[in-house]
Amino acid sequence: MSDPQLATREVLWNISHVWLMYALLVPTVATAAYGIYRRVQVWRRGQAENRFDRPLERIGLVLKYALLQLRTWRKLYPGSLHAMIFWGFIVLTVATTVVMIEYDFGIPIMHGYFYLYFQSFITDVFGALAMIGVGMAGARRWIVRPTQLVYTGEASGILVAIFAILSSGFLIEGWRIAATNDPWGAWSPFGNLVAAASRPLMSVEAMKTAHLATWWTHLLLAFGFIAWAPYTKMAHVITSTLNIYTSRLAPIGATLRKIDFEKAEKLGINSLAGFTWKDLLDFDACTECGRCTAVCPANLVGKVLSPRDIILDLRKLSRVPRGDFAQSYVGTTQALSIEAMWECTTCGACVEACPVSIEQMPKIVDTRRYLVMEDAQLPETMQQALVSVETRGHPFRGTVFSRVDWTAGLNVSTMADALDAEVLLWVGCGGALVERNQKVVRSLAQLLEKAGVKFAILGREEKCTGDPARRIGNEFLFEQLAQENIATLNRYQVKKIVTSCPHCFNTFRNEYPQFGGRYEVYHHSEYLAKLVGEGKLSARTPSDKKVTFHDPCYLGRHNGVYAAPRQLVQISTRAEPIEMEQSRSNSFCCGGGGGMSFIDEPPNQRVNQERARQILATDADVVAVGCPFCMTMLEDGINARRGDRDTKVMDVAELLWQAVEHASSSGGRGDRAENTKPEI
Amino acid sequence: MNIVVCIKQILDPEIPARDFRVDSVKCEAERGSANLVTNIFCENALETALQFREAQGGKITAISCGPEGAEDVLRKALALKADDAVLVLNEAPNADPLFVAKTLAAGIRKIGPFDAVLVGREAGDWGAGQTGGLLAEELQVPCISFAENLQPSAASGAVKVKRQTDSGWELLESATPLVITITNHEKNVPRIPKTRDVMQSYRKPLVKWTLAELGIDPSTANSYYRVAELFIPRKETQCEFISGDTLEAKIDAFAHRVTDCMRSM
Repeated sequence: MSDPQLATREVLWNISHVWLMYALLVPTVATAAYGIYRRVQVWRRGQAENRFDRPLERIGLVLKYALLQLRTWRKLYPGSLHAMIFWGFIVLTVATTVVMIEYDFGIPIMHGYFYLYFQSFITDVFGALAMIGVGMAGARRWIVRPTQLVYTGEASGILVAIFAILSSGFLIEGWRIAATNDPWGAWSPFGNLVAAASRPLMSVEAMKTAHLATWWTHLLLAFGFIAWAPYTKMAHVITSTLNIYTSRLAPIGATLRKIDFEKAEKLGINSLAGFTWKDLLDFDACTECGRCTAVCPANLVGKVLSPRDIILDLRKLSRVPRGDFAQSYVGTTQALSIEAMWECTTCGACVEACPVSIEQMPKIVDTRRYLVMEDAQLPETMQQALVSVETRGHPFRGTVFSRVDWTAGLNVSTMADALDAEVLLWVGCGGALVERNQKVVRSLAQLLEKAGVKFAILGREEKCTGDPARRIGNEFLFEQLAQENIATLNRYQVKKIVTSCPHCFNTFRNEYPQFGGRYEVYHHSEYLAKLVGEGKLSARTPSDKKVTFHDPCYLGRHNGVYAAPRQLVQISTRAEPIEMEQSRSNSFCCGGGGGMSFIDEPPNQRVNQERARQILATDADVVAVGCPFCMTMLEDGINARRGDRDTKVMDVAELLWQAVEHASSSGGRGDRAENTKPEI
Repeated sequence: MNIVVCIKQILDPEIPARDFRVDSVKCEAERGSANLVTNIFCENALETALQFREAQGGKITAISCGPEGAEDVLRKALALKADDAVLVLNEAPNADPLFVAKTLAAGIRKIGPFDAVLVGREAGDWGAGQTGGLLAEELQVPCISFAENLQPSAASGAVKVKRQTDSGWELLESATPLVITITNHEKNVPRIPKTRDVMQSYRKPLVKWTLAELGIDPSTANSYYRVAELFIPRKETQCEFISGDTLEAKIDAFAHRVTDCMRSM
């Protein structure tokens, strides 16, 4: 063996007319550049939006989600196959660059241990991993055929092309090793395999001829692929990275945009002209992986809504040459139908699942805004809820309760009477006006009282925060409510807000700051966990019930609060909650968000019943919730599905109150609200 | 065709029952936490007019008689694309239907020639249901009550009106001008306005006239009738045991007790 310090190989061995390669590079780069230029021209037609602030955080996102592929990895099989291809190509690109530095720039780096370890061994292994990845992708696409994928000739063509490029690469490597009797051949184990297999079958001359032909084929394939890629979903190599860099830095709950009603020419969006450049980039960033649709609760129960197809259909429109951006897209395809727009629960599962940070849900809300505000076209029961919000300040038309009925027999003051109150307990319409939830706010108020918190409510001065109006698409009504509520809160100089409704919580935390309302906002689970932590509450008689916890979308996915409610379950039962098959950021919606609790879903397409199935599968006695909408949706769902099992839905505050209350002398008075039936 | 639609602002009739209070001294409902809304049958009347205009063309003028705040219900009518709006300012809270009819008639005459006046069949606050008929009398035109729609007629200067009756419906043809009281029907469910139109409704002109400008004496607001007493009815149950030695005697005593009760009713 020679000295490893001298190890290298001859670049462009057996190749003549090298000038042809450089000549071919010109049209290749030009074609690819033109493809990218065409996409950029489309993005430039979008509205303005600033997505370049806080560059360090953005670079961090690119490292996490583009380079390390953290979101792609969430699904093991497709995640690993993609990582193999992705990292394989990164290494192969670096190796090709090394050749360029050596040959074109004349800097001798392709030598010695670097040549052996990196240029031969690592490159060879990663090339093989990429081949395995392509094989796994092929098996998935052509044999397993999951419904979430999009089956196009283009997608198949890409796989075939990558396979051809990689395999031709191994062939030329193998024939070069065999024909030159390369002493370092063993450092390229897979290339060496080809060499070993060829030696008994082919003469050196035959190998040289085959090498020459395959080398040019390899080159043409690779150049062709580079030129073609920007016109296919392979553009995602650039667009997805860009999309991750320019993604939303705020939580999902802060994703809806404010409208400038004075200046807006059109309210909401019904044509490409309404979208920002970032929305248009979203369309091009899509890799057609289908994870958004695979997690969409509406799609899963058989509705037509498919976030993937919304993005792909809009992309198709954006790619019509010299397309008319002012033309309405509403109703042009099934995915863009009015029906689909009214099936979204705004749960954000699609946004959370997207490996490349596409924001599907806000586009649905933008379209709803158009339908509601420009077209006055929305489902009648949603319309009734909004009319009720407008005239009565709450969406529950026909409720027999007032905002303060739930306080009967409790020591709860209003802000007007308790000027020393430090905490505003925001009850929310769902808490005050729906009988089942009144028990929740009673438990919460009693816990706060027991912990010695100086709190008060707004009582009759409380109004809907506007969450249902905003999600249904009536931004005008939302803005009015936001301004009114902020005025009320500021009049009482409110600083700290505790609420048992994640929708109100999200609105205060993420949306009122858009209108100048800034408060310290807690979901009751966070605040109660804090009180327990400070020793102000203790669970003396924990329950022995088996409890599972249902993450409310607007608490978990939209705001990242997962630990506090689980802590309360743990405190109340001395056991960690049982996790359902879908929980935390992957949780499955109750079906009630986005104004959907005001719609009567078809009996065979109810999201809450699918969630009830998951709950019942845990065999828990109690499903703990932290949201008044989840409470009613899941009670309905479980009642429809449970058979003769006795599975209860309870709020985390009720669980904690039970565990705290039994030890104290105030037991019993907590249920007086049940006796105050409406007098009609 | 010129259509005038009368619109009344009332206290939200859908507030929870236990939130509803009356002021027995002033003999009126307390505002409390309730909001002021458009009377639903007036909304049906406006919807009927809008549908007629969509099919046949014409002009819609909305008119209301009430305090300054009643501007809100007229703005809503403008948001739904009523062409004009007139508010006759009247601060008397419990003006009787005759006074309201006289005031509206004076206002309508001042607006100009009309072909049809559409009013809701009754209001969700007092439920008197008299204003429409009295208004026709004041304007000296015919009145068709409980109509569910308005259709054009082949004859000029006439309309067809379908009205609900106890036993079904009637289709009447009438010369214009006339007054029609509108009831609710699945075809005249009020639409909601487009937000853009709501925004623009605040920029549209809205005419306000005082009672004095119309020559109406505000002191006559309750000359037709006034509310003598106002209270929320209480459901009372009394339990009484009928005694008797035998079952027959008990039944006999029970029958007497029932007939006594019926006589005293």
